Amino acid sequence: MLSGLFREGSFQDTTSFTERLTKFSLGPYLQLPFSIYLSRLCLSSRKIQKLFSTSSVLSTEKVKSTASEDSTTEVASKSQEGTPETPKQKLLNLIGNMKVEVSYRKKLQQLKTREVKNQATDKLEGMDGEGAVLQRTTEDIKRGKPLNPELVKAVSAVASSLPLNKQQTESELLAQLRRHEETTDKQKKGGVINIRNIISEMAVKRESPAQRGVRISNRISMDFDEDGQRIKSERPSRQSSDSRRSLKVGRRLNIFTKASTETENALQTVSSPTIWDLEFAKEVAAVTAQPPRNGFEEMIEWTKEGILWEYPIDNEAGMEDDAEFHEHIFLEKHLEDFPKQGPIRHFMELVICGLSKNPYLSVKQKIEHIEWFQKYFEEKKEYLQEI
Amino acid sequence: MAASALGWALRAARQVLPSAFMTQSRSYYVDWRMLRDVKRRKLAYEYADERLRINAIRKNTLLPKELQEVADKEIAALPRDSCPVRIRNRCVLTSRPRGVKRRWRLSRIVFRHFADHGQMSGIQRAMW
Repeated sequence: MLSGLFREGSFQDTTSFTERLTKFSLGPYLQLPFSIYLSRLCLSSRKIQKLFSTSSVLSTEKVKSTASEDSTTEVASKSQEGTPETPKQKLLNLIGNMKVEVSYRKKLQQLKTREVKNQATDKLEGMDGEGAVLQRTTEDIKRGKPLNPELVKAVSAVASSLPLNKQQTESELLAQLRRHEETTDKQKKGGVINIRNIISEMAVKRESPAQRGVRISNRISMDFDEDGQRIKSERPSRQSSDSRRSLKVGRRLNIFTKASTETENALQTVSSPTIWDLEFAKEVAAVTAQPPRNGFEEMIEWTKEGILWEYPIDNEAGMEDDAEFHEHIFLEKHLEDFPKQGPIRHFMELVICGLSKNPYLSVKQKIEHIEWFQKYFEEKKEYLQEI
Repeated sequence: MAASALGWALRAARQVLPSAFMTQSRSYYVDWRMLRDVKRRKLAYEYADERLRINAIRKNTLLPKELQEVADKEIAALPRDSCPVRIRNRCVLTSRPRGVKRRWRLSRIVFRHFADHGQMSGIQRAMW
């Protein structure tokens, strides 16, 4: 049954005849992919094609199971498809006026109600000859905000035309109309997110049968690594070929709002914790810290405090010397300020030789040593020149 | 004099570590000699680099002697407690200056006390 497919809040749970009718009437339109329907009617506008193609993608995925049930109504629909221009024109007018759409579901609901009206008008044309009135009503569906009396008349006509339970069908059709109006109003107020922009970027992927076979064979073959993990080498290549479009190409859709500014503000306000906050945090930590229940927790506490080393023992724990070996050994570049000749130079070369062999000092400490000597000898310069 | 003594006492007092589970924590050093030893160690750490450099000038044969004499005077001008020679490896628990095993920093009496109670890791009574 189609009842489980288009689950919307506006639909009643009990499947009344009218709902089943609407779903059945839409059955043939949905069964055959909409592209075929369009080709028969020779509709040329791209927008309509795109809309129907996407909806067909959705609906054909959902509706495949119900193919068998709508055989009887197929005949009726085919007879209708043979009729001349008027339904097509009406459809064109309706769809050309379609402005705001938010979700596939609501669009489908709109389509459905319009199809219902179409069906009703077609039937009435054939039977009662009130086509003029009903043409206007079908076009006014979108525009008139309160329920038109003409709409009401149309509803009553439809109800009279249908075999069962006229009052119930009438009330249900009216209720659907009202809901439709509400939803369109909400959509108009809620802002324009043009679904066409989104759809224009999307494209139906055309799979060559060779690629498809390769894909299936990849899925079936269970290639295992040494560790027992499945080999995933194929997937990144496939994904890279699929995403030929880059992410930044195309118009902005404005679906998502930027939340980054808010987080930045939040970070700025937090960045200066007061002393009282720190004290409070310390207090809380001290209170919540329970005495260790066992030796493991005690060792954890010790490791946190720094009493216990971390295992496996890292020989360079606490030592963050980022300098390369050549910075430790070749220290002559720091000797540029010293005189080239003389005992001081000789002395400093010995100093550098000793420092280069010292593995316990960092480069900074070695440079500090050399700079201290430089300062010292500069202070003693006048004294040295007397000698 | 009393004020300075009081000041030293305050400096001697160490804060109790904030911890929810109270381990045995020591608020004072064992005696004043230990405290003085602690001060000497601190100063020696501060002046270690300077002493090393000045001694490097003093103890080589390349530089002129006048320079070395100047260095002598400079090193003598440093605080007396900054020299590492004045540090005494006392027992950590009793402040005993003699009979201290370097590895455990304990005097022989304390060491023996703990070892007999099995509180020294890896130590057992020797017999062979």
